[in-house]
Amino acid sequence: MDAKLVNPFVDAFITVMPQIGFPEPKRAKLYVRDQNAVGLGVSVVVGFTKQIRGNVVYNMEEETAKYIASTMMMGMPVAEFDAMAQSAISEMSNMLTANAATNLTGMGFEVDISTPSLSIGKNFQVKISDSQYLTVEMDLGGHIVELDIAVDQNN
Amino acid sequence: MEKVKVMVVDDSKVSRAMLERTLARTNFEVVAMARDAAEAVKMYSEYSPAVVTMDMNLPDADGIECSKRIHAIDPEAKIVMISAMKDASLVAKGREVGISAFLQKPVSPNELLDTLMILCQNKAGKVAVLRESYAKPFMRALQQGLFSLIGVHSEVELELDERRFLEVSGVAVIIGLTGYPSGRAIVYMEAETMRKFAMVMLEEEGAESIGDDEASESVEEAANIIVGRGVSNINDVFKDKEMRITPPGTICGVDIRIASPKLTTFRVVAKTRIGDIKMNIGFAEGE
Repeated sequence: MDAKLVNPFVDAFITVMPQIGFPEPKRAKLYVRDQNAVGLGVSVVVGFTKQIRGNVVYNMEEETAKYIASTMMMGMPVAEFDAMAQSAISEMSNMLTANAATNLTGMGFEVDISTPSLSIGKNFQVKISDSQYLTVEMDLGGHIVELDIAVDQNN
Repeated sequence: MEKVKVMVVDDSKVSRAMLERTLARTNFEVVAMARDAAEAVKMYSEYSPAVVTMDMNLPDADGIECSKRIHAIDPEAKIVMISAMKDASLVAKGREVGISAFLQKPVSPNELLDTLMILCQNKAGKVAVLRESYAKPFMRALQQGLFSLIGVHSEVELELDERRFLEVSGVAVIIGLTGYPSGRAIVYMEAETMRKFAMVMLEEEGAESIGDDEASESVEEAANIIVGRGVSNINDVFKDKEMRITPPGTICGVDIRIASPKLTTFRVVAKTRIGDIKMNIGFAEGE
């Protein structure tokens, strides 16, 4: 995949997260992968179609998901990753993806996004691409959200 | 679920019986059957149906005249013309008297249902519309797809899924749906069924010779074809709506729960000789 397609996602993360209570999101590591991603606990898959096709996974440990949900809900304690917390993570994924889609549109690509699918479980395999794709780790005050980005320009 | 009232206007006993039988298995209910225009007008006032199916040829007036009379009583009346002939001049005349849709005999049950659903969207309820017009095409696609891809016959069931999670131990292929309605389809099955599926699809002798990757890829490819066909079924009916699918994301493992907050989901189970092949179709609520 083309590395320039990663920036719209990183930019979306850096723009959106402060609006929902995370002051300084930072880009940590970036690497190329050619194998399946591994579910860290909570993995949200979102699909892209039209001029950009592929999938993006927002992948994080359950503890991180609970921390994010709690912060999004103004510090409400989240002991269990329950329906409310799932809804918050799903909503965050929607916001990030919609913002990334807007960035892609700004680059001249017409895109359409699917609703997010949220999977919970450990060590499952997530296959989102037949070829190499990029993983970016985003740091939210010590909590890591992994973005697995496998999108390509549709020729 | 509350039934939606339908009045059938047709002078042929056979046509009336056919329509009644088609609708009997749906959330539409034939509450009145009129043989001619005079009876139709009288029954309309008496039963106030949500929708009327109208034949063109009636003994005492034609379907256009009869529709005009019904509209005189109720300007909001929803009328579907079902006639043997359907040409531009008939459609133009029909529109003038307020007929909302035109179908040609013989009417396929799907076409009839989709039309009634669209006309009665508010009354029939969102879930019923999603089920009949959007989930059912995927159910048909699953059944046909299983037969054409792996030659397996199946019995399929469709129901509203109110569970908070899908529990998956095996493989789940997630395919996003964009356009209207947006959502996602998930085709999933247990690991053993996945291996048998791949064995039949790849025409291998024994399940041992197939690796897990190869097996999940077979299921992924099949799911892509099946969901794509489901979307085509929908686009064929609703020509103005362009639904599309995103590339598949495939999850393999044990004890995975897939949650779909804020989606209305339907569960389809295809029972086959190699095991249950399941599909879950979720649509985002509202527009």
